[in-house]
Amino acid sequence: MDTAVHPDIEGSLIEALKQGDSTAYKKAVRGYSPGMLAVARFYLDHSSAEEIVQDCWVTVIDAIHKFEGRSGLKTWLHRIVANRCKNKLRSSKREVATDFSEGLEPELAERFNATGRWDVPPKLKFHESADTLMENGALSDCLDKHLSALPETQRSALMLYEAHQHKSEDVCNILDVSASNLRVLLHRARQKIFLMVETFQETGEC
Amino acid sequence: MLMCRDLAEIASDYIDGELSARQNLSVKMHLMMCQDCRTFIGNLRASTRLMQAHSSGHPDEELLRRIDERISEALKTRRTRDNDEE
Ligand SMILES: [Zn+2]
Repeated sequence: MDTAVHPDIEGSLIEALKQGDSTAYKKAVRGYSPGMLAVARFYLDHSSAEEIVQDCWVTVIDAIHKFEGRSGLKTWLHRIVANRCKNKLRSSKREVATDFSEGLEPELAERFNATGRWDVPPKLKFHESADTLMENGALSDCLDKHLSALPETQRSALMLYEAHQHKSEDVCNILDVSASNLRVLLHRARQKIFLMVETFQETGEC
Repeated sequence: MLMCRDLAEIASDYIDGELSARQNLSVKMHLMMCQDCRTFIGNLRASTRLMQAHSSGHPDEELLRRIDERISEALKTRRTRDNDEE
C-alpha cells in the first residue's frame, strides 16, 4: 500500500517543507522513503540504495524551494533518486541490464502443448478479494519471500507501478526503461506471483 | 486464431487495457469460449490486486531515524546560514 499523502494535503506539506518544519520532514520521510528506496534498489545494492536515499533527503532541503509542482511531489522525489543513482552508476561504469525478449515465464510456458492450448490449466480460482488473501499471514509472508527473490529490475518496476501507483509513463522515465520493456517486466513479475499463489493454494506451502 | 498460449503472453496488457481494439476483441472472443483462460485471467488479476495491497520493502526504523537526524542537522546549518545573511 502506498503511504504517500493525499494530493489535497500535499500542497500544505510542501509549504511546511519549504518553511523547514522538522515535523513535516518526519512525515514526508515516512511517507515517501519506501518508494524512493524502491527506485534506488532498481539501480543499486541494498546499502548503496539506503545511502542514496539519505543523501537525497538532504538535498531536498534546498531543492524544495525550486519545486514548482508541475509533477507530484512523489514523482519529483523519485526522479531525484533516479538521477543520483544514474550518476553514481556512470562514475562506476556499471550497466543495468533490462532486456527481455520472452513474454512468458518458463514455468508457465511449459504448461501449453504444441498447438498452444493449455496442457496443465490453472486448477483453482483464486479468492476474489485481495484483502481476504492478505488476511492470510502465511501467504503474506510467502509473497514477501517471493518478492525479495525477484530480480531487482522486476521488483522495482512492480513496486512503482502496482504498490506506488505510478503511471507507466512515469515509471519508464524514472527507471529509464522503454515502454515495451516495462510491459514485459510487469508481465513476468505478475506471472511469478500468479505461480506462487497457485502453489500456495494447492499445497498450503510457500 | 488466438491460442491459449498467445493469450497468456498478452494477458497483462489485456488487464491494463493496453491492447489495440482488434487484439482486445480477439481476447474477448477467446475468453467467451475458454474456461481455462477465464480462470487464468481472473487469477492473474487477483495476483495483481494482491501486489497492490501488499506493502513490502519498507525501510527499517533505523534508516528512517538516520534520515531524520541528517535532515535536522542540515536544517540547523541552513538556519544559521540564513541568519548570517540577514
Ligand atoms: Zn484458452
